[in-house]
Amino acid sequence: MNSNAVIVGGNRTPFAKAGGPYAQASSHDLLTSAIDGLAARYGLSGKQLGEVAAGAVLKHPRDFNLTREAVLSSSLAPTTPACDLQQACGTGLEATIYIANKISLGQIDSGIAGGADSASDAPITVSEPLRKALLAANAARSTGDRLKALARIRPSHLKPLAPGVNEPRTGLSMGEHQALTTKRWEVTREAQDELAAASHHTLAAAWDNGFFDDLVTPFLGVAKDSILRPDTSVEKLSKLKPAFGGPEGTMTAGNSTALSDGAATVLLSNEQWAKDNHLPVLAKFVDANVAAVDHPAGDDLLLAPVGAVGHMLERNGLTIEDFDLVEIHEAFASTVLATLKAWESEEYCTSLGLKGAIGTLDRSKLNTMGSSLAVGHPFAATGARIVPSLAKMLHDLGPGKRGLISVCAAGGQGVVAILEAV
Amino acid sequence: MDRREEHLDELPSMGSAFARALVPSRAKTAKIPQHVAVVEDQRQDLARLAEYNRVCGFTLRDSVPPTWLHVLTFPLHVHLLGAPDSSVKLVGAVHVSNSMTLHRPVGLGEKLQVRVHIDNLRPHKRGAMIDLLGEIRVGDETVWNGTSTYLATGMSAPGEVEDIERQPFDPLQPQAKWRLAKDLGRRYRRVSHDPNPIHTSKVAAKAFGFARPLIHGMWTHARALSALEGRLPETYSASVSFLRPILLPGTVGFAASPTPQGFDAAVTNRDGTKAHLLMGVTGAP
Repeated sequence: MNSNAVIVGGNRTPFAKAGGPYAQASSHDLLTSAIDGLAARYGLSGKQLGEVAAGAVLKHPRDFNLTREAVLSSSLAPTTPACDLQQACGTGLEATIYIANKISLGQIDSGIAGGADSASDAPITVSEPLRKALLAANAARSTGDRLKALARIRPSHLKPLAPGVNEPRTGLSMGEHQALTTKRWEVTREAQDELAAASHHTLAAAWDNGFFDDLVTPFLGVAKDSILRPDTSVEKLSKLKPAFGGPEGTMTAGNSTALSDGAATVLLSNEQWAKDNHLPVLAKFVDANVAAVDHPAGDDLLLAPVGAVGHMLERNGLTIEDFDLVEIHEAFASTVLATLKAWESEEYCTSLGLKGAIGTLDRSKLNTMGSSLAVGHPFAATGARIVPSLAKMLHDLGPGKRGLISVCAAGGQGVVAILEAV
Repeated sequence: MDRREEHLDELPSMGSAFARALVPSRAKTAKIPQHVAVVEDQRQDLARLAEYNRVCGFTLRDSVPPTWLHVLTFPLHVHLLGAPDSSVKLVGAVHVSNSMTLHRPVGLGEKLQVRVHIDNLRPHKRGAMIDLLGEIRVGDETVWNGTSTYLATGMSAPGEVEDIERQPFDPLQPQAKWRLAKDLGRRYRRVSHDPNPIHTSKVAAKAFGFARPLIHGMWTHARALSALEGRLPETYSASVSFLRPILLPGTVGFAASPTPQGFDAAVTNRDGTKAHLLMGVTGAP
């Protein structure tokens, strides 16, 4: 039985800078808080849902079943199944696609998608030689063998390792990759700072207008996204020193996302379940797509969503003008700006196998309630932040209004989706 | 009865108060202080709470576990049992049972008034029993209260010895196994601030007749509550009986079952034949 997957609503924690107010909270704490807030908002306490799918990018070995454990800590019925899913910064959106697909196929009636990340509580691991020696010692059958294994440990092996932030195949950090893209697509410093300032200003206005009142639940005394700087300006941002791309670089801490802590969730269901539970329906989950680029061969790491969007639009018979709102995840201001330039490039788009350029976006439709530069970007949470916010914005505009989501992810991947207001 | 209030500027640090409370009493008759010890505007430390939650198995939330609120009253227990007019001292007093009620969720950002007094001095066939009565207020509202019952062995108290029914325990199949590491006593001490060496030192434990250190009863209580986390109502009462100490390191069993009012739970030995702690949780009316 096929049915429409609809977005009922969402809930997230306010996002905060790593090492800030959530320094003591783990991904488990954050995800549990987001699920509990969602359960409180939609009366899900004690209810068994079809499935909960969520993930974290920075993950401790103890969190191998992060989502299921968070469900058990939450007020949802303990008989609610859950799975962990991870696609770097695409995690939250990919989890939404997974739940929406199961609903569409009639496998489940309702579900929660989400993501949590704590850059404050990142796992520190031991070096590879130390790990090997410890495993060998553990497997040893005699004391002699055990000592022999342990004798291989050298002082240099004891240095703890922080999680890798570099692309494994290129050795470049995400910022360094994006700096190459920024240069290649000739994205100016001014344009980046303007986009960053707009992100803060539109997010601040959305908070002032109470837009997030039914999307966010305070956590650990934080009521509002704490990275938000309502009083920032292009002028202030223009004074920051380059962080990526060398001394001539245009990417700064102000137009790049900060390492963040937070969690976000989306409640999805079929229309009947929402009706039976007297819940509102904001938007339909229409379609989604994933694409990847060959960044080890020199492709732009964070432009994978371009192909994903283009092919998704073609198969739905839609053009960029058919959308009322567009959310492009602001990994960096220049990612969004390079994406828009790529959409306009006949050459780039046809090289991806598209029939032509995706087109020019009316910028007044873009990220109208702020995006990751101002909100923050707990990696796995971002997709699950965008989905309910966009669904609500579309719903406010009226039935039939369409929204597009584009999220870039490490590994040269892009996850995109279409929502339509109910 | 209107009790005199002794206002302390802050929760007493437990070192010296604890030392006083440890000095054995030569008195044979149990005497208890009549006043209430009060600390105003007690803030809660997020880092300490987060570590408390990790040690006891709770998820870090905006509202705090009720056993954490007990931990905040404990320095005043020690303070009162170290007072000159208390002939009952901590040493030789056995924590036999505990009950607490969370009247409403308490936020970690709330400033608390912490109040403790001692009452209900009564005889027991092995000595004298007392209740340490803790209360936590926010403004004029009582948000939590707790009763910690101690038995001062070998002491006498006026009145008739009451027959206390021993809670029945039928052997059960544990649903969970908790492996308690050797350092658990130390980890719990860091968050509870209870310096009693019986929980951390083999030598101290031996002095009291135990082969190894014991895990704190209030840790076991907290761990039993955290095992029910997510299923507990917003407000509830929890009472526990401490039947047998748990030695560290050690492995114990846990089982819980729903009741019409809430949950019954037991921390048992590995095979479920003997109970270390029995707990009842009931939703607050």
